[in-house]
Amino acid sequence: MDYQALQKQYLDLAARVVEMAAGKGAIAEAYISAGENLSIEVRNQEVEALTTARDQGLGLRVIAGQRVGFAFTTDFSPPALELCVEQALANARMATPDEHNCLPARYPGYPQLDLFDPEITTTPVEKKIELVREIERQARAYDPRVKITESCSYNDSRYLVVLVNSQGITAAYHAAYCGASTFVVAVENEESQTGFGLAYGLQYKNIDPAKIGREGAARAVRMLGARRVNTQRAAVVFDPYVATNFLGVIAPALAADAVQKGKSLFRGRVGQQVAAPVVNIIDDGRRPDGIASSPFDGEGVPTEHTVLVEKGVLKCYLHNTYTAARDGVKSTGNGARGSFKTTPEVGTTNFYIEAGSHTPEEIIKEIPKGLYVTEVMGMHTANPISGDFSVGASGLWIEKGELTRPVRGVAIAGNIISLLEGIDAVGNDLTFFGATGAPTVRIASMTISG
Amino acid sequence: MLLTEADLKAILEAALAEGGDFAEIFLERRRTTSISCEDNKIERVISGLDQGAGIRVIAGENTAYGYSNDLSRESLIQTATLVGKALQSRPQPREISFKRPQAQVEFTIKKRPDQVPVAEKVALVQRANEAARAVDKRITQVTVGYGDVIQEVTIANSDGILVDDERVRCRFVVNAVATDGKVIQTGFESAGGHQGWELFESVNPEEKARQAARRAVMMLEARPAPAGKMPVVMAGEAGGTMIHEACGHGLEADLVQKQLSVYAGKKGQKVASDLITVIDDPTIPGKYGSYRFDDEGTPGQKTVLIENGILKDYMYDYLTARKENRRSTGNGRRESYQDRPIPRMTNTFIAPGKDDPEAILRETKYGLLVKRMGGGQVNTTNGDFVFDVAEGYLIQDGKIGPAVRGATLTGNGPEVLKIIDRVGSDLGFSLGTCGKDGQGVPVGDAQPTIRIPEMVVGGILDEEDKG
Repeated sequence: MDYQALQKQYLDLAARVVEMAAGKGAIAEAYISAGENLSIEVRNQEVEALTTARDQGLGLRVIAGQRVGFAFTTDFSPPALELCVEQALANARMATPDEHNCLPARYPGYPQLDLFDPEITTTPVEKKIELVREIERQARAYDPRVKITESCSYNDSRYLVVLVNSQGITAAYHAAYCGASTFVVAVENEESQTGFGLAYGLQYKNIDPAKIGREGAARAVRMLGARRVNTQRAAVVFDPYVATNFLGVIAPALAADAVQKGKSLFRGRVGQQVAAPVVNIIDDGRRPDGIASSPFDGEGVPTEHTVLVEKGVLKCYLHNTYTAARDGVKSTGNGARGSFKTTPEVGTTNFYIEAGSHTPEEIIKEIPKGLYVTEVMGMHTANPISGDFSVGASGLWIEKGELTRPVRGVAIAGNIISLLEGIDAVGNDLTFFGATGAPTVRIASMTISG
Repeated sequence: MLLTEADLKAILEAALAEGGDFAEIFLERRRTTSISCEDNKIERVISGLDQGAGIRVIAGENTAYGYSNDLSRESLIQTATLVGKALQSRPQPREISFKRPQAQVEFTIKKRPDQVPVAEKVALVQRANEAARAVDKRITQVTVGYGDVIQEVTIANSDGILVDDERVRCRFVVNAVATDGKVIQTGFESAGGHQGWELFESVNPEEKARQAARRAVMMLEARPAPAGKMPVVMAGEAGGTMIHEACGHGLEADLVQKQLSVYAGKKGQKVASDLITVIDDPTIPGKYGSYRFDDEGTPGQKTVLIENGILKDYMYDYLTARKENRRSTGNGRRESYQDRPIPRMTNTFIAPGKDDPEAILRETKYGLLVKRMGGGQVNTTNGDFVFDVAEGYLIQDGKIGPAVRGATLTGNGPEVLKIIDRVGSDLGFSLGTCGKDGQGVPVGDAQPTIRIPEMVVGGILDEEDKG
């Protein structure tokens, strides 16, 4: 696809749709995304599946009489676009008026970010297939007990985002990301255990097949022979992957939308200690190589680097244009869209716990007995409103500062706030899994049910 | 029908012109409405149209797939050619003649949701919001959501299958938040089915909203769940998450064939207690996981997976069935035209047994009673699973004791199925969106009241309360 031509074509199209809605007395915003995707799946060195795709869609938001309406379409023919405008306006008539409904006005400029690595598109498919094969070979070579490939895949996406509103914003950007992952199974006697490795980012050259394959294999092999431990209280260490799982529960509670609606466990806590002093939590929409980086958010507001928790103290919440108007503050550029099919809600970009100063080994070395958690199950059942969680866990048992034997089938439970307060060490190994990142963290004491 | 038969034929022929032994096109036109109310305001009213086509070509064990939003004949022929080329196999041109398979069931939609004015849908959402808020002063937030989908599909393949179908689904959800000082708790209820607006003849949205609100308020007073092993009674009304996780996923043929399931190679073997029969059935009218045809054009059908403890069959799609030279069980599903079909559950349940549900509770001295399950997850490779308890009580001397919150039950599928010692004569359905390989599809789950003599409850040890 010729992205420059496409960008011009879609800027015109978005402007036309906005005009159609504005002509009927509404203020309006059209958001278009379009792109190409590739995915490659390999098993036993064979290409099991290869998917190539193109897609496009337009989402139209209108505000008339302080009421918001929304409609979307993947069909860009004139009758389909007219119907989309009609539906958005009709939907607005059904909504409740709210004086804070508004669209942002033009910004003087956006951050200059390097979001398009040409190597992602110039690398031939055959080379990408070879990269996936190499991941699988590396996993198998790591240990003879790695016998089954659950999945081994690469995917990339190149896309264009266009945003036009009736308040003067006309903006576009073009980006690409790529990544690879593997899930492999180690088998010994009657037992099977799974492990994964993955890497996602904006640079093709940063996808290291050897690292992904060996990581997956190591995670699977070390779980062979896992057993339960008895119910007890002990220190718990989350590896970076598990820590990001917990961050995923915290994210919605830091959205101003949840706070304003009384649905956040952080409501009324700005300026207070909500975590141990070793904890800093950041949202950065401009982070280099960040998979969620972009010059502007889903409503055309420049992205920012926002410190949410500093030395354990809650500094602020994340805002989109609506929540900012309601609180009388500036949007933090967190008007996030899942896709063209959704209105811009408050959401995180590149969201992470800042690295601390200890190595993971130092963190483990100080523990007389505890659990090093490498996998949690049922994290989506944690309640971001109450903060209560109870999840299945597996990992490695720590005895006298050493990782001793694998553990599975246990559960850990508690409340997010007491968990954040209980963190007593943060590692220097900040690792991103997609758009969420964390280092190793240690919690002084938790209930482990077995 | 979204394209003519001649167009479909031309596209399939283009797909096979460059190689492959099977080609398929899945055309979809999905129109949706969604409404949400929060903060006493109708915040979002959204209508949408998402249409596209997915083209799949298979050569031996290799699959190439492509999709596009452009439904013009030329564009689809171009996509088909590209997809076929990706396989790099020998072309096997052939004559395609279409025949339309017969569905095993017919579903009648009494009132299509696009025939219902949006204002009427909005009014229903508002009534539910008010009903939930009226339950208790401590209800501080209520979110009500309504959504409907009309999905038209045309599925055609080089074996000559041609299916046009329309799936109509409505869904309604309520989430209530109760606050008392620093304590904040939630309650959730949902309803939905392969039904039109008639869903609300059998479901009273206000009553659902009150149930969600009452649960949130009750949870304010609940104590943290205990930790450790204990007997668990699951009420029929608790829903079917347990069976979905404990064995459903492990009986999907793709996982079995890849040796990623603890149930691999166990057909004909005893895998559960004699009391356990597990069925997957998309032909039950009106349930959330129901359909006439799966997303590959195979008629939906009832499949007995486990019968009196013996593993009878797995759930197959076209590709997994072909590998074993057998027929698909009609479980090939996909989230949308953007996805390849894979074996999935539909409505999955443990068949009712003979025990009186009340007697099961009465004859359990102590343990945990699960009245409502939340979400769950399974590691199919080792069979370990978890699910969340949305409403639970301690069992004290065969009676319902105090409510507990924050519990997750952890178990191992094959171990739990073998030790279930009581199966009630009731059956309660729940619904949800099941995720696998990044694809979400609507499913129903159900089970009777059952007792599991020992499961791990992931709660909190008492000392945490003290400090």
